[in-house]
Amino acid sequence: MNTSKKIVLAEDNSILALLLKYKLEKEGYTLLMAKDGKEAIELIELHNPEIILTDIMMPFVSGLEVISYVRNKLNLTTPIIVFSSSGQEEMVLNAFNIGATDFMSKPFSPNELIIRIKRLLFNKTIFDKTW
Amino acid sequence: MNLNTSGLIIDLIQYFFIAFTFSAILSYLILAIISIFENRHYMKKNSFVNYKDILSSTISPSISIIAPAYNETLNIVENVRSLLSNHYVNYDVIIVNDGSKDDSLEKLIKAYDLVKIDYVINNQIPTKPLREGVFKSTNPAFEKLIVVDKENGGKADALNTGLNISPNKYVACIDVDCLLLEESLLKMIKPFLETTDSKVIAAGGVIRIANSCIIKDGKLLDVNLPTNMLVRGQILEYLRAFLLGRMAWSKLNGLLVISGAFGLFDKKIAIEVGGYDTKTVGEDMEIIVRMRRHMEEQKIKYKVAYIPDPLCWTEAPDNYKIFISQRNRWTRGTIETLKKHKKIGFNPKYKSLGIISYPYWLIYERLAPIIEVTGVLYFIFLIVNNAVKWDYAFAFLVLAYLFTVLFSIITIITEELTYHQYKKKGIGLQLITTAFLEPFINHPFILYANIKGNFDYYFNKDIKWGEMVRKGMNKASD
Amino acid sequence: MVNLFYYIVEYFKYSPKIIQLLWASSVVFTLIIIGLSIYLNHIRIRLRAKERIKAVYQKKYESDLIEYLYSGNGVDEISKEQQIIIDYLSNCAKSSLKRKIIISTLLKLKDEISGEIADAIQKLYCQTGLVNYASYKLKSKKWDVIAKGIKELAQFEIKDALNDVIEHIDHPKREVRKEIQMYLVKLFRFEGLEFLNILTNQLSEWDQIQLLEILQKFENQHIPDITKWLESSNNSVVSFSLKLAKIYNQYEAKDHIINLLNHSNQEIRIESINVLSHFGDIDSLIILKSDFNQRSIEEQVIIFKMMEDINEVSDIPFLLEHINNMNFDIKVSVTKILKKLKNSEANDSRFITTDIEYSEKTSLIKAS
Repeated sequence: MNTSKKIVLAEDNSILALLLKYKLEKEGYTLLMAKDGKEAIELIELHNPEIILTDIMMPFVSGLEVISYVRNKLNLTTPIIVFSSSGQEEMVLNAFNIGATDFMSKPFSPNELIIRIKRLLFNKTIFDKTW
Repeated sequence: MNLNTSGLIIDLIQYFFIAFTFSAILSYLILAIISIFENRHYMKKNSFVNYKDILSSTISPSISIIAPAYNETLNIVENVRSLLSNHYVNYDVIIVNDGSKDDSLEKLIKAYDLVKIDYVINNQIPTKPLREGVFKSTNPAFEKLIVVDKENGGKADALNTGLNISPNKYVACIDVDCLLLEESLLKMIKPFLETTDSKVIAAGGVIRIANSCIIKDGKLLDVNLPTNMLVRGQILEYLRAFLLGRMAWSKLNGLLVISGAFGLFDKKIAIEVGGYDTKTVGEDMEIIVRMRRHMEEQKIKYKVAYIPDPLCWTEAPDNYKIFISQRNRWTRGTIETLKKHKKIGFNPKYKSLGIISYPYWLIYERLAPIIEVTGVLYFIFLIVNNAVKWDYAFAFLVLAYLFTVLFSIITIITEELTYHQYKKKGIGLQLITTAFLEPFINHPFILYANIKGNFDYYFNKDIKWGEMVRKGMNKASD
Repeated sequence: MVNLFYYIVEYFKYSPKIIQLLWASSVVFTLIIIGLSIYLNHIRIRLRAKERIKAVYQKKYESDLIEYLYSGNGVDEISKEQQIIIDYLSNCAKSSLKRKIIISTLLKLKDEISGEIADAIQKLYCQTGLVNYASYKLKSKKWDVIAKGIKELAQFEIKDALNDVIEHIDHPKREVRKEIQMYLVKLFRFEGLEFLNILTNQLSEWDQIQLLEILQKFENQHIPDITKWLESSNNSVVSFSLKLAKIYNQYEAKDHIINLLNHSNQEIRIESINVLSHFGDIDSLIILKSDFNQRSIEEQVIIFKMMEDINEVSDIPFLLEHINNMNFDIKVSVTKILKKLKNSEANDSRFITTDIEYSEKTSLIKAS
């Protein structure tokens, strides 16, 4: 049985996506890559990942829409980490209002991202076990 | 009549036409040369601008995109979504549904989870009343969207409603079916923020023709040259006007027109002058002239900026009927605007606006087609009376034709050296071919539409806007 | 055939000067058209080739960069794999097109990432010798080349270039001076703002925004004393420091900002009111209410906006004076504040004139 945790990453910066893919796969996760919100939603519906990482400003279907879709239409409790170049308070609040779990503003440290992913997955495991 | 006198009159008239042609050619050349220098300067200046910094700033000024919509049900949901994904932080999108008879509003309500809200409107500019009201989304992801449903009043009236509703400092007035590239607002707001020695009242952009281009999910994926010759001719025409014309006018601060498809305005000044004029069909040109005039009268140093980057892509008419109707409307708009503001013409009180811009527009935009057609009729008259000096006529016509072709090719080269949007193989040759054919394919119809426009303006008061049939931008239509 | 040729020559020789001129011009035009068409074709071929190169090399450099970042030894020394990549990139850098692609690839990642990876990218920039090309640009006579060089050095945070950069500080071109300002702020953060002390040119809004964005990317700042900038004779410097005061909550500068309420420039007065409003300072509100009627309408609007957050029951008489104010925004503000203060009586429509379409606002919309 494949116990590797699945992560869906929606990021349109190709080299950043490559870097994160490399780093996260090294940690043992399986990466599913999307270049925009629409692709991300398709991957999420298909694979039901353990964690979703998404940029906010993406063409056409924004990161905020992805979160909204996951929480309201798919009704999933999957942890979602959002990144954005926009450190604006309003964007952050919006993201959390819609249902994001965590937020990292760019530029961010990939090491910190990994720590947060591990923490969220750990918390989720405890949460799932209790219920 | 004495043979000598009639010969003299014929000569004089001929000299007039030739002199006019040469003066027109000279003016195009001057504008082209100034434009080329300006283009180079602009490309240099912008080669190292980092737009990303302003992207996320909390201090970047607030902008409202106002898009009037009338019977746009085919594409409205897609277009709105595209507008919502602009890469700017501080903006909202106001869709003004101008009394559409179709289900545009229902589609929007469904797609964006809209609910009716109560909204206090500052009616600084009188407009037609609301119909269904003001709507906003319950989904925070669409928080930027405001939809207004009102009684039909025309494009100018819808824009004025948008001006009344907007809470922001700047307004971007666009056509709802335009595709705005992601960095459009960033690039357009720059002159407003960068200029320290004068007040920028408006900024105009370049309109690129989207026919046959692949647009998917609101993103311009592929730029193709359409096969339709009429559209190809328009592409050349737009390139000439935008690259070799408006760039110079912007440098001379004499820009009289900002395309109605995409323009950014200082909201306070737009409202101060009374908003758009609902009684004209050329409201985009008219408001700029009025705003400029206002600033001149107030004696405040001002500027109308111009951004040559390709930011706005829209569909151009691909059949003659709609094409002629569009040009007819443009003609009437020009006539109405020039007439309404004739006080500034040749008036030194209005400086370059009155001494250069207005006369140029009057002579080379409004009167030129009439002079040209008169020239043609005169030529026919001469043929009938066997008074044509064929050697002269023929040599002259050939030269004039070659000049237009040459000018078009210089335009194409300028485009290649600046924005190079048409990358595919073979397009270069196709564009050159178009340069040779355009004088026969487009130009006569433009003349016809212009004359008809004049005729309609003076004798046919009932005509209004005309329809534009939507084809749907997602299909690669040819 | 030959006859036709002779006919044309004869025709031309015996034509009047004007016709000769016209035809000669036509021939010249035709030749130019042919020449330009060939040139056009040449440009397009060259541009397409460039695009192809870009596409191919972009991918290659992206994967090379990732490989470089992950084949380190964890120690400061350069591993064998890394050295290969460094040599390869140094070699490519000789071509200006490839150099551009490498730099844009490095920046594409560096802008998104912080921490040790960002530092590693910076080191790579130096190790491959790319930094030398940028330094070399500073010696150019052309302003746009100098500006580009400074910008690049700022993006990769090359402190060593400071002296060379500073040499251009009085350059006649605004773009160059601006890049120097950004360089100083990017590398030396708040200390880099020292140039504000002597700046005579205007800092445009665009410049101010960019400087602030650079500053906001750094955490744990020691904010310098902005009071001397608040008193500057350069209005744009004052405006900039007001923004600093707001973003970094410089309450200590409150008194200086209150002084600015009487500044000659209206924009500065408005910005000052905004900052004091953000601070929630009641003292300044008292001052503003006392000379309220001498203020311009724009300032009055902002003052009422300020009162939406800071208000008390004793303000009611003052508010009632303005409930029928000509200005729409003021009317809205006043009604909002009265609602907050007098829960039931504010709905009394006798206070509201008929020329506004008034209805209750729901929580979904922002106040206009």
